[in-house]
Order: sequence, then C-alpha cells, then structure tokens
Amino acid sequence: MNALTLVRAHVTMTFLDLVRWPGYVVPTVVFPAMFFVFFDLSFARESSANAAFLTLAFMVFAVVGVTFYQFGVNIALDRGRPWERYLRTLPVTAIERFTARIVTAMIFALATAAVVALVALAFTPIHLSLVQWLLVLLYCIAGGVPFVFIGITIGYWASARAAMPIATATNLLLAYAGGLWIPPKLLPPFVQAISPYLPTREFANLVWSITGRGSAAPALLGLATYTVVFAVTAVLVYRRDERTRYA
Amino acid sequence: MILAFEDVVKSYGAIRALEGLSFGVQRGEVVALLGPNGAGKTTALEIALGIRRCDAGAVTVFDGSPQDVCVRRRFGVTPQHTGFPDVLRVDEILAFVAQHYPAPASLDETRAAFGLEQIRRRRANTLSGGQSRRLALALAFIGNPELVVLDEPTVGLDVQSRRRLWEAVRNASGGGSILFTTHDLEEAQAHASRIMVINHGRLLFDGSTQELRARTGTRRLSYIGLGGPVVVTLEDTDEYVRDLVRSGAAFADLEISRPSLEEAFLSLTGETS
Repeated sequence: MNALTLVRAHVTMTFLDLVRWPGYVVPTVVFPAMFFVFFDLSFARESSANAAFLTLAFMVFAVVGVTFYQFGVNIALDRGRPWERYLRTLPVTAIERFTARIVTAMIFALATAAVVALVALAFTPIHLSLVQWLLVLLYCIAGGVPFVFIGITIGYWASARAAMPIATATNLLLAYAGGLWIPPKLLPPFVQAISPYLPTREFANLVWSITGRGSAAPALLGLATYTVVFAVTAVLVYRRDERTRYA
Repeated sequence: MILAFEDVVKSYGAIRALEGLSFGVQRGEVVALLGPNGAGKTTALEIALGIRRCDAGAVTVFDGSPQDVCVRRRFGVTPQHTGFPDVLRVDEILAFVAQHYPAPASLDETRAAFGLEQIRRRRANTLSGGQSRRLALALAFIGNPELVVLDEPTVGLDVQSRRRLWEAVRNASGGGSILFTTHDLEEAQAHASRIMVINHGRLLFDGSTQELRARTGTRRLSYIGLGGPVVVTLEDTDEYVRDLVRSGAAFADLEISRPSLEEAFLSLTGETS
C-alpha cells in the first residue's frame, strides 16, 4: 500500500482497461507503422541513412500520437465519469494517479514506436548501434514530456466530445509540419518557415541528433521551453476543472 | 465523534445546497440521512468524503481532513453511481480497490458476503443492476473500514434484492459505523439506529427511529364514500373508523397507511417553520 504499490495497481487497471479494447489498441499500435510502410518505406529502403532518418521520424510520430490520445482524449473522457469520482474517494494521491497515467502512456508509446523500429529492422537497411538504440529510447521518453503537458491541456480544456477531433487535428498537423512524414526540406516554403519552431520538429531534431544530424542541445532547449509553457497551461486548465467540478 | 459537520455552508452559484448543516456520527452508529431530491444529501456526503470542499464551516473525519490520505484509509464508499470500467472483471475491481488499504478483507470473504462468487470472472459491462450494486457495496467494505458511507445503496433495486443487500451490509459491517442516504423512510427505519432528515440544506430532524415514529405518528386513511374518494391524515385512526361504522354511512376500500416520506417531510417542515 506504499506509493509504488498504488502506482502499480493504477497502471494495471488503466492498462487492462485500454488493452481489452481492440478498437483502441490495434489502431494505436499499428497506425504509425502502417503510415511508415505506405508512405516512406520505399524511400527508407534506398539507404541506411534514409532508413534511420525516416524510422526515427515515425518513432517520434508514434510517441506523440499515443501521448496525445492517452492524455488529451482519455482525460477528457475520464473526468466526467462516475468512476473517476469514485477513485477520488480512495486513499491515493493525485501525484500517484498521474504517475500511473504517465507510466501507462509510456508503455503504449514505446510499444508503438517499437513496432515502427521492428518494421524498419525487417524491411530497411537501417543500422544503429546498441548505444544508439538506447539513446533513441531515452530521447523518446524525454522528448515526449512536453506532449504529455499538451495532452493534459487538451484533456482538461476540451469536452469529451471535442477532445478526439482536437487531439487528432493537432497531432496530424504537428506531425506533418514538423517533418515527421516527409523530410522538412520537402515541405512547402511557408511550412518550412514555421517547422523549426514546432515541438514535433524539436523532438525529431533531438532523435535525429543520434545519427549525427545536428546537435541535441538546441532541441532539448526548445523542448524544455515547450515543457514549461504547457506545464503552466496544464496546471491552469486542471485547476479550472477542479474548481468547476469539485469546488 | 468520527464524523463531524459544524455549520457547513455550500453554494453552487446562487443555489444554497447546505445552509449551516451540523451533525455528527459516533463510532458504531448506523445513521440514515433522508431527504428529497435536491435536499443536499449528496453534497453533504461529497464534502464528508473530501470530493468537494465546503464554503464555510468545518468538516472533520476521524479528527482530520477528509482530503487526507491517512483519513481516507479509514472509510469506504459506495457512491450513487459507480460506472465501473466496462472491461474489468469483478475480481480485478475488488483486488484493485483492496490494494489501497492497509488491512483489507480477503477477496474470498468479500465475494461470499456480497454473493459475488458466481460472477467473479464477469466483466463489469455484463453485470445486471443488482449485481453492480452488490459489487459497489463490496468495494465499500473491502478495506475493512471503520466508517462506511453509502449513497442511496439500494436505489433502483427490487424488494428482494434490497433485503439481500442489507443482510450483506449488516454481516459485513461488524459493528462499524455506517452513514447512508436514502429516499425510503421504511428502509431508514428498518436499518438505522439514528435518522437525520435534511431539506434545503438544513437539518430538520435528528433522532432515533422511535422519535421519528413519534414525530410522524400520523396515519393516512382513505376510502371511497358515497361522495367519492376520501383521504384524511390523523393520529387516531381507530376512533375515526369506529365513528365511520357507527354513522352507518356506506364506504369501500378502506385503507390505513403510514404517511409517505413526502408527507413526513411536510409534517416536519411545518413544525420547523
């Protein structure tokens, strides 16, 4: 009944509640890999460098997508439910419950990114060392942090009905404009102009730095800025929801 | 006193839900909180459970704040609506909630007490209304709490299911304190050692079931006379019936009943205004 036990209990409960919905699990886990196969696999097969560039971009897309849905959509759906009200009567802190939500999201995000990596390993000449793969894992976790707060902001700001379209639109727009589907230099000029400032691009730059494309430091700084900005908005909308729902 | 409300005030915008509500629950008491829809029962319970905060006054549970996790380990709850996650099984939900408490009851005992053995592997979305309520009640007791709070525990259930549920509650409580809300005066009289009646956020009555009976000791007498249906509310129905028979007037379908909850409220409200 210590904090670890409670986090584990909530992770298990949330995980089972999601994994038993094939309609959620299959599209979530398969969608980024499917996009990768349909749109970029042929380019990725051309060279090891192309393979690494595109695989890492789609792994970022996988992490961002799962984070948006787990936080943006699920929080919006959960917060109006009687079960959520009941959970608030249990002896568990909000921090323990948030930690459990983050761990569950991480499990799904990394599983989804792993499917992209497995497709790349099977069908492209991608070659990364073990250390590079470990760095990919680390950067995927670190780079996902601002998206957790963007997701929380959507989840507490949008209604249950609006959260899904808002999260989908935000995810797809940020993925496209951030250069996750097609290399940034192939984007239309006006999109190229804003692309470097988007959180998805910063996330991609961080992960691409593993292969020697640029440096991780500016990307980390950009992601840290987004983290601070959206942590503030997340706290504001969370407090607003607490005031209106539980005051 | 394990639960104490002192001059608690709560408003939702312009609507006053609680208007200086004060009451206490002692260890070992079974207390019924009665009131019509909108009386403030659920608001009072939500404040007692730490889900909501009061605007003014003080609420203490086990001499602490209901928001305190240590305090929450000492009470169990059955809310009015539970809405279990559809795909979780009965056993999984029981085990999940049990993990929050330092010395929970065993799953076997809890399943047996609330008749959940046959449905232990069923998913929540396949349970009937009665089965869901049994599970919701089991969750309130699985942590072996000192205080159990039940918000309309038998609402929507048939008479037999209600009786079975209350048997289970009595067996599981083991002398612990229970605070429950209900619309049903008979249910409150049958199961509570003390009754509180609130309306418009104010406490109208607080006393034993005997005192409530004395307070609302009127009877409702109805029959069909020559001039049509007659309904009267009075204390001594025997004398009225004797007079009616003595008068020789024709009548049919004579029925004597206790006043409904609404009638009891009207009586109480009349006395307090």
